Amino acid sequence: MDALIVIFITGLIGLFTGLLKKPTLNLIITLCGLAVAFALQLNYGFYKSPFANYQVLEFNVPQLYFSLLAILFTAVIVVGGFGYFKRDASHTGDYYGLLLFSLCGAICLIGFTDLFMFFLGLEILSIPIYVMVGIKKQDVLSAEASIKYFFTGAFATAILLFGIALLYGATGSFNLNEIRTVIQSGEYHTSYLLIGMLFMLGAFLFKVGAVPFHFWGPDVYQGAPEIVTAFMATVVKLAALVAFYTLFNITFQELGYFWIGALYFAIALSLFLGYLGALKQTKFKRLLAYSSISNTGYALFALLSTSHSSLASLLIFLVGYGFSTIALLTISMAISNEDDEIAAFKGIGYKHPFIGFIMLISLLSLAGIPPLTGFFGKFSLLMNAYNNHLWLVILALISSAIGAFLYLRLIVLSLTKDESDKSIALNLWQYLVLSICAIGILGGGFILAI
Amino acid sequence: MELLILPLILGLVMLILPSGWCKLVGGLGSLASLGIASYHLMGFDPLTQVVMSSSIDKMAFGLTLNFGYDSLGLVMIMLTNAIIPLILLSNWNRELAGNKLFTALVFFMQLGLLGVFTAQDGIMFYIFWEFTLLPIFLILYWFGAKENNKVLFKFFIYTLVGSLAMLLSFIALGINAQSFAYQDLVNVQLSQKMACWVMSGFLLAFAIKIPLFPFHTWQPATYTSSPMAGTMLLSALMLKMALYGMMKWMLPLTSEGIEVMKWPVIILGAIGIVYGAVIAIKQNDIKTLFAFASISHLGLIAAGIMVFNTAAWSGAIIQIINHSLISIGLFLAADILEKRTGTRKLDELGGIAKIAPRFGFWFAAIVFAALSIPFSAGFIGEFILIKELFSFHVLIGILAVSSLILGAVYMLRSYQLSMFGPPKLTSFQDLTWNETAVFVVLSISILIIGLFSTYIIDYTAPAIRVLTAITPTN
Repeated sequence: MDALIVIFITGLIGLFTGLLKKPTLNLIITLCGLAVAFALQLNYGFYKSPFANYQVLEFNVPQLYFSLLAILFTAVIVVGGFGYFKRDASHTGDYYGLLLFSLCGAICLIGFTDLFMFFLGLEILSIPIYVMVGIKKQDVLSAEASIKYFFTGAFATAILLFGIALLYGATGSFNLNEIRTVIQSGEYHTSYLLIGMLFMLGAFLFKVGAVPFHFWGPDVYQGAPEIVTAFMATVVKLAALVAFYTLFNITFQELGYFWIGALYFAIALSLFLGYLGALKQTKFKRLLAYSSISNTGYALFALLSTSHSSLASLLIFLVGYGFSTIALLTISMAISNEDDEIAAFKGIGYKHPFIGFIMLISLLSLAGIPPLTGFFGKFSLLMNAYNNHLWLVILALISSAIGAFLYLRLIVLSLTKDESDKSIALNLWQYLVLSICAIGILGGGFILAI
Repeated sequence: MELLILPLILGLVMLILPSGWCKLVGGLGSLASLGIASYHLMGFDPLTQVVMSSSIDKMAFGLTLNFGYDSLGLVMIMLTNAIIPLILLSNWNRELAGNKLFTALVFFMQLGLLGVFTAQDGIMFYIFWEFTLLPIFLILYWFGAKENNKVLFKFFIYTLVGSLAMLLSFIALGINAQSFAYQDLVNVQLSQKMACWVMSGFLLAFAIKIPLFPFHTWQPATYTSSPMAGTMLLSALMLKMALYGMMKWMLPLTSEGIEVMKWPVIILGAIGIVYGAVIAIKQNDIKTLFAFASISHLGLIAAGIMVFNTAAWSGAIIQIINHSLISIGLFLAADILEKRTGTRKLDELGGIAKIAPRFGFWFAAIVFAALSIPFSAGFIGEFILIKELFSFHVLIGILAVSSLILGAVYMLRSYQLSMFGPPKLTSFQDLTWNETAVFVVLSISILIIGLFSTYIIDYTAPAIRVLTAITPTN
């Protein structure tokens, strides 16, 4: 709770200091705020908080790590996007403020114990994103993406609310623990509960961007500025996945017979449609959007298993996936790829070995090649699901081969010898961000050792 | 652990070293790793197992950090560390020698190989197994033939699909054992049906890498489009990972399924022996010819391993070592021909033995070794393997024998067409010192192994007895 308040206040300050049009000052304030929030969250439970009795938001150990990861991702994205902010100084304050507000929503979603807080978090998370997607006002694609995301998102929210209402009608409570007790006792109105749950499942699949509710993904990812794309692909996805887990795998665990079947199909389709859709893309961010659909499919494996380690595997997976995505988008920003063409990546790794190395490890990590973090994430997720869902695991492995082909093409493209004389330069901030990502990608597997 | 750390350090050092130093430091470093391996060899008692590192507590999902080797592993380590200096030496006067990226990748390759040969944990084995794919892919991509993307993608995806099947098998075993430590995996009791499934997962990975008959389609094109050192790494070391994997991992772990899976694999191996040889006879491209010859030779070894007794395995180990040495020699010869004449086509070559007598002599020595004439290592290896296949089934034995006859046809044909006949070239530079050195070392080692192969057989016998679960009877 303390961290949430710190982030919110930092966001407010950021909005006002944005008026000064001094991006560096804004960056420093934002990073300080995030650092304080990180420290507070790290010591969660070890100090006497004035909000200790605030029951609506609780962080257990895995959730705590997720919130730390969300803060870390945000900090990395903010730093990596600094070059972009400098060019577009008039919007700097808006970006910083909105990113931080959205992060508040993400943290609410990670730690909620109450459907009221859940809905609040979801909206706080989404609304700043609607704005940020459309922040390039002159750009048609950006405007289209914003409208599309807003309308589809609003529908999803409405359906979610409908689901929550039905759930309340069936169980008589908003509190997750009470709902769970009611479900365990079996004294609920079955059809209300099941329909409500189905509605919520649909809304969640929309938020995490899984098939069959994935259509907004590519358009929105492509239209949004890279920083916002990175934020959506990492923090938003992380928060939605954790909320998904909390609600379905913990609260609705007893009803698994009902929703696991539906989820099964969503995962199987996501695994393949994402990568198959990505094969034909020529725009980089669209490709990332499609590949993120498949990665969502992998992440959803965490919901299939009730074992304790499934949240930990989700964490490792998201570390690998998140840092890879941020690294790739930072590189895309660094080569100022305005047209978003994949062809623009040709030869950059050959010209700039550091970028080449980062491209190599981040794409290989996405492809799940050991010893990178992505491998350990996929490995542990599949390990958990093996006992009950063997066929889905086999499908995941097959789709992983398709994904490897996809990522390999990008690697080959970026490492190819290019004789043209375009020059690539990274600024200090980008070096920093890419190095952090490299550490995350190379060392994330060691989380297993802890 | 220094076995693994040295190549890693060498690889990293190569990346920061100025280009001029790479050749020298790389060469000395590879010799140092050979020295370390020899040191391990000196202090090793074949009856024991050496533990290089072991984790007391298991990590999440039963992962462990167990590394170590038995005498079989040590032979493979020795082989790796001996072949790497030879590869660097045969590259010595080529333009790649001074390339730091290339040298670094060779050392990373060595790291991966040593990891595979020392891993005592299923997932560690898998990690290093996959890791070897990266350096070889980059070597092939950067230093191979131009426009070889399609070939490389095929190679990468093929091997990756195999590896994923192996990962599934490891997960299946690991879930049962609650651990991935080697001994725990061996102790898992499987039903025969389950064992067959698990074994097929392993087999897909190994059959693609070896390559066994229907899974070989990636190999010839990959060999021909890769640089000499890449081909050498692939055929002399990387394929041996798969054979080692069959002996150390696949068969002991899923011994319940051997009776069922024996037949299909041995038949595939036998088909591969004949198929590879017949195709090789018709080849005009000398590198493709050697690639198909390799399919034929390795089919024999794989079939021999599946016979699953100590004698066949001893033969397989001799033949593994022999094939590594021979393939270094053959691909060096092929590269010499290609670099100096600009072609690999047999019908455009000819009469070189007259112009370059030294090359003619040493190439002949390697060709004869490949023919497995008596006193060469191949004679012992192939003899034992064929004998065991005969006692397994007569028809299989007959097919296996054909490898000797057909082998003579394609090897002598390739030698005759390239070296004898009317000279089609006016000048051909004879062997340089480093090439001569490689050929001399290879020929002498093949001879020594051929004469004293009992030492290797006795040396590896304890490990083989453990792996084939046959108790020693004295």
